[in-house]
Amino acid sequence: MTTGVFASDAGDARAAVSPPPAAAPLPSRASLAVRWRAMARTGLRMMLHDKLKMLGTLIGVVFAVILANQQLGTFMGLLQKNVLFLRNSGADVWIAPPGTTQFQSGKPISDVALMRARVMPDVEWAEPLLLGSVTVATPVGGAEPVTLIGVRLPIKGGGPWNMVAGTPEVLARPDTMIFEDADREKLGGLNLGSVREVAGHKVTVGGFTYGLIPFAPSFAFASYDLARELLKTPRDRMNFVMVKAKPGTDPVVLARALQENLGDEVKVMAKDDYAKTVYGYLLRATPLGITFGTSTLFGLIVGFVIVSLSMFSAVVDNLREFGTLKALGTTTADLAKLLFVQSVAYALVGSTIGLALVSNLANAIRSPRLALVLLPQTFGATFFVMTALCVIASSLALLRLHRLEPAMVFR
Amino acid sequence: MTLAIEARDVVKTYGVGDAATQVLRGVDFRVKKGEFVFLAGPSGSGKTTLLSILGCVLTPTSGDVSLLGTRVSGRKESELPGLRVAYLGFIFQGHNLIASLTAAQNIALQLELRGHSPREAMKEAESLLDRVGLGDRTHHKPGELSGGQRQRVSVARALAGGPPIILADEPTASLDAQAGLLVTEMLREMAKERGHSVVVVTHDNRIYHLADRVVQIEDGTITGESS
Repeated sequence: MTTGVFASDAGDARAAVSPPPAAAPLPSRASLAVRWRAMARTGLRMMLHDKLKMLGTLIGVVFAVILANQQLGTFMGLLQKNVLFLRNSGADVWIAPPGTTQFQSGKPISDVALMRARVMPDVEWAEPLLLGSVTVATPVGGAEPVTLIGVRLPIKGGGPWNMVAGTPEVLARPDTMIFEDADREKLGGLNLGSVREVAGHKVTVGGFTYGLIPFAPSFAFASYDLARELLKTPRDRMNFVMVKAKPGTDPVVLARALQENLGDEVKVMAKDDYAKTVYGYLLRATPLGITFGTSTLFGLIVGFVIVSLSMFSAVVDNLREFGTLKALGTTTADLAKLLFVQSVAYALVGSTIGLALVSNLANAIRSPRLALVLLPQTFGATFFVMTALCVIASSLALLRLHRLEPAMVFR
Repeated sequence: MTLAIEARDVVKTYGVGDAATQVLRGVDFRVKKGEFVFLAGPSGSGKTTLLSILGCVLTPTSGDVSLLGTRVSGRKESELPGLRVAYLGFIFQGHNLIASLTAAQNIALQLELRGHSPREAMKEAESLLDRVGLGDRTHHKPGELSGGQRQRVSVARALAGGPPIILADEPTASLDAQAGLLVTEMLREMAKERGHSVVVVTHDNRIYHLADRVVQIEDGTITGESS
């Protein structure tokens, strides 16, 4: 036999190669950190190489992020609408009819509660609030409901706020009310000075708020006396008592003290506890939670399926490469690292794109009637959930790799 | 003298019962350190199956296989990847380079699996590519290389990190005669220079002259050898 001579076109470089000892087995495999790094880089390069597949997988993640956050954001918006008044009234503690679970008018409570609250030591002020539904007659003969709020003058709490025309003080004028700007057309083309019949009583429009639309007809504000007349509430009755705690007083402690003082005739709640009660009611007693929860889950499931199938398909399309990696000495655990890094990359990139799109969507569709609320926690949760979802979705691909025989590279 | 490869009475049967097919029928095969051996035979003779067993990617039904005196047959499946990293370099018929990695990255990956740092691995990969005449193709992906160039990258990858044994499965099958000869000459030269023991499965008799020894296998049995 003869020895062939290989004509290298880089002869000078031969000296740079220091032949390693080939007579003995290599000392050991790479450390875990080195293997992680090698698999991470290989995984990302494989991912970037097949751009079409990468795009398909990312679309799955983006779709899931948008759908889930759109549904979740709408749900959060609805929840916030239900506690809109509680959050902005200026009251720290609410005295409500017993059994209150929402911000709605129940059986009116006695003014005794108001009097006794006012003399409690840690109370800054206590004011009555009237709440009820009335209709506004429109010029074309129709009627539109509004949620009437009656507040005592001079106003200490209970709104109106977010005014875009007029001032809260106009409520001191006889038969004057403040309406929601977003409902001007609906209420028959309202303007400052317009006169409308509310619950059979002529009132003048003195100002407009913006965005005060709960998960019910928009708020309309009147003085306490006018509201009592429109709602036909007895003089010694009211729907709520709003209580402001003195500085440094814990509202929860004050609420407990008021409850002990006022007995079971009323339900006393700190503002945050009242909001939680409303949330709890909406989640448990209405189909809101189930409806939006199902939609959110559906978005995640669709995203999961797309990511899962895309990653599985990427593995199947490159089985020979994975078989080669196994033959070269990688283990299934190493390939799991590779898929893990790909999953995390898909989740992070897809979530970032999805959140950017859904944030723009939220800004584009935001109106007094529909608010898509994306909380900072939602952003964090999205990254976490999508990472978990993508990692789990890659398990189908991993299962295929686990069963892959490295001997296939010789077939 | 310690043998690089020693296979004794290796049997491989696929399937069970009436469907069982015996592909290797008690093969004895030895390769000395630094030897350049061809394993030749017709299609279906069992040469690739034997190579797979020597490469620790397939377990024999019975028999013993030792690499550099270390028994590798009968090991747990979880131990095999470590044995492959420690003892073996592979050259495949279809080059089997990772399409998404450049020529240098393909080699560097093998080096990293053998414990090199990424910086060392890339430096060594570039040196090896220089050595196989592809110093100007380090950043090219396999799709941008010719068949002969891809196989040269594959040779460099097999040699990367200095595994004592190189197993090549029909490395010239997808190449034209000249490119096939060139690659095999290069493999022999580098293996001899670095002390690797090499087993090349081939039925390309145009390159037989490059072997120290040609072992013939037919119907799952070693039928003879020439040197």
